[in-house]
Amino acid sequence: MNVLEVKQLSKKFGDFIAVDNITMSVKEGEIFGFLGANGAGKSTAINMIASLLRVTKGEIEVLGKNIAKHSKFAKMNIGIVPQEMAIYEDMTAYENVRFFAGLYGLRGAELKERVIEALAFVGLGDKHKSYPKNFSGGMKRRLNIACAIAHRPKLLIMDEPTVGIDPQSRNYILGSVKKLNELGCTIIYTSHYMEEVEEICTRIAIIDHGKIIAEGTKGQLKAIITNQKNISIEVRSAENLNKSKLEAIAGVNRVEVEDRIVKVTSDSEINNLNRIIQQLMADDLEIRAVEENEPSLETVFLTLTGRSLRDQ
Amino acid sequence: MRDTLWLIRKTFMSTFKNYLNLFIYFVFPVMGILLATLVQGGTGDSELKMGIVNHDGGQAITKRMMDSVGKQDSMLVIELEENEIKGRIASGELDAAIIFPTGFAQSLIAHKPADVKIVSIKGAQVTGQVTATLDQHINNMVSVGRAAQGDEAKFIALYDKFQKPGFELAGKKVEDQSVNFNKTNQSIGYLLILMLVSASNLSGILIKERENRTYYRLLSSPISPRTYVLSNIIVNLTMMMLQIAVTLLIMMTIFHVDPGIPYWSMFLILVLFALVAIGLSLVIVAFSSSSSTASGMQNMILIPTSLLSGCMFPLVLMPETMQQLARFLPQYWLLDTFSDLQQGGSFGELSLNLIILIAFSVVFTLIAVYKFGRNNDTRSYI
Repeated sequence: MNVLEVKQLSKKFGDFIAVDNITMSVKEGEIFGFLGANGAGKSTAINMIASLLRVTKGEIEVLGKNIAKHSKFAKMNIGIVPQEMAIYEDMTAYENVRFFAGLYGLRGAELKERVIEALAFVGLGDKHKSYPKNFSGGMKRRLNIACAIAHRPKLLIMDEPTVGIDPQSRNYILGSVKKLNELGCTIIYTSHYMEEVEEICTRIAIIDHGKIIAEGTKGQLKAIITNQKNISIEVRSAENLNKSKLEAIAGVNRVEVEDRIVKVTSDSEINNLNRIIQQLMADDLEIRAVEENEPSLETVFLTLTGRSLRDQ
Repeated sequence: MRDTLWLIRKTFMSTFKNYLNLFIYFVFPVMGILLATLVQGGTGDSELKMGIVNHDGGQAITKRMMDSVGKQDSMLVIELEENEIKGRIASGELDAAIIFPTGFAQSLIAHKPADVKIVSIKGAQVTGQVTATLDQHINNMVSVGRAAQGDEAKFIALYDKFQKPGFELAGKKVEDQSVNFNKTNQSIGYLLILMLVSASNLSGILIKERENRTYYRLLSSPISPRTYVLSNIIVNLTMMMLQIAVTLLIMMTIFHVDPGIPYWSMFLILVLFALVAIGLSLVIVAFSSSSSTASGMQNMILIPTSLLSGCMFPLVLMPETMQQLARFLPQYWLLDTFSDLQQGGSFGELSLNLIILIAFSVVFTLIAVYKFGRNNDTRSYI
C-alpha cells in the first residue's frame, strides 16, 4: 500500500516553477530518501505534502485520501521534523511535546503517556523538566523529533534532522529513525549527508530544478552510472596538483581534492590509471595509497545534477 | 473549539510566564495614573491646613478675626505656639501658619493694621489664597475701625452688626471637577498608548512563532491558520479587557478619581478601542517580515499618533492643523467621546464617535485579512 502518492504535482511562484510536474510514491514501511540541492524544489514539495503550501497543479494522496479534500485526515497522519528547530524555548521539554501532541486531539492520560513515551524514545526521558535553552544542539534536535512523533504518525517527514550535531547524537538519531521504521512508521528523509541516506534509506528520489530526475533503490541509482569508476589517491600533499592536466587525460570526467585525497571520476571502460599516476608523479606528488571504488550515491548525485549536495 | 482553547491556554501560559509582559500590561497603566495624578496636582481637594499663632493675647477683635479665617470652607484652622510652626510645616501637618502680632486688635481699631506674618514652604500656591482671605478681612476691619473712630466698644458693635447683615446670602458651592476630568483624560491617554503597545506585543507572538518556526509545526498539525489567528485575537482581547478592568479599578479604589462618566461605560468604550488596537496590531503583523520590522513599525505608528491625538498632553495645546490631523486617528475619537460624556453628552449624541471607532476596527482587520490572504508561502495565516 502506498502511504504517499504524488501525481503530476507542480508549484509556481509567479513565473518561477519551483516544482515541475513531479510524480512519486512512498510505500508503507519505507524509509524514502528525498535528495536535492538547495533550491531544487525539495522543501516546496515537502511543504505541499504537509499541506503547508497550496498546490498549483496535481494531486497528493496520503493513505489513499486526497489531501485537498481530506486535509485534516492527512495532517493527523503526518508528522514533521523541520530542519530548523521548531520548539518553544520558554517551555520545558515535557510542555513542548505535550502542547504539540495536544494539537492532534490527544488529552488526559493518553496525552501524558504519549509525551513520556516520545521523550523516552529520543532519550530525553530524564530531561523532561529542563528547558531547551539549556540543551545541546543534539538534544534540541531530539526534542524536535519527539514533538513530531508523540501523536504516532503513519508518515514522518524528516527534513535534515542531523544538521549541525555531534556524531554521537547523529548516531542516536539515525538509530531512532530505524527503530521508528521498525515500529511501522513510514519515513521520508532528506539530508545533505549521503552516507546517512545510503545507510538508512530503502528507496531514494533525486529532485533537481523542480523535477525528479531519478528514483529507485540504491542499487538502481548506482546502476545508472555503471559506466563510471571512482579512483581515490592519497598523496602526502596536494599543493602542487595540476588539476587541468589531470582532467585532460582521456576518460577522466571530474577531479576533486579533499584534504590529501585526490578523487577522480572516470569512464570505467578506459584504463587510464597508469596515466593518472604518472601525471601525479610528474607534479611531484608523493603517492601513499590508491583505491578504486564502486560509485557512491554522492557520485550518482554529482553525475546527475552536476552539483554536490554539501557544497550548496 | 477544543483546539482553540488548547492554543489559548498555551498563549496565556507563555504570557503570564513572562514577568515583563505583566509589567507592561498591568503595572505601567497604574504608573500612568500616578503620573497623571502628579501632573494634575493631587486630588483636587483644596482645603488648606492652617496654623494660627496669636501674640495678641485675649483680644476679642483678634479672636474674631481668627474665627473668621476658620469659617472659610477651604481652610482648616488650629491654634498653636510659634515654636511649633517649623516642625509642623516641615512634617506636612500644616500647609502654612499665620502669626498675628501683639497689638493687632489695636492697630485695626486705629485703622492702621499691623503686618500679619505668613509662614509656608509651599510658596504662592498656598500663601496666595491665605493672603487674599486675610486682606479681605483686614480691609473690612480697617473700614469698621475708620467708622468707629478709635472707640473699641463702637468697633465691636459695628463689627457685630457687620457680621449679621440685614439680608440673607444663600451660597452654593460649585464643585470644581476640572482636575478630576483632566486626571482621568490623562490617565486614559496613557492607557491607550499601553493598550496599543500591549496589543502589538500579543499579536507579535504571531511573528515570533514564524521566526522560531513553531508556526511551521503548528500549521502542519490539524489546527487551521484561522483557528490559530482567532486564538491569538481572543487572548489579546481578554488581556486587554483585564488591563482595562485593573486600571479602572485602581483609578476608582486607590486613586479615588471621579471621571465624570460611569466606570462601566468607560469599560465598554475602552473595549471598543481594544478592538481597534487589535486590528491595528494585526495590520502591523501582516506587513512585517520580522520582529524588528514590526518593532520599527510600532515605534513609527503608535507613539507619533498617540502624541498627535492628545494621549500625552491636551490637544488644545497643539496648533490648529495638528488638531485637524488628529481627527484621522482612533485615539482622538476615544478621548473626544470621554470628553463629551464628561460635559454631559449622552451615548445617543456620541453614536458618530462610536461608529467611527467601530469603523477603524473593521477597516484595520480587513486590511490585515487581505494582506494575510495574499501571502503565497508557508508563513501565510489565512
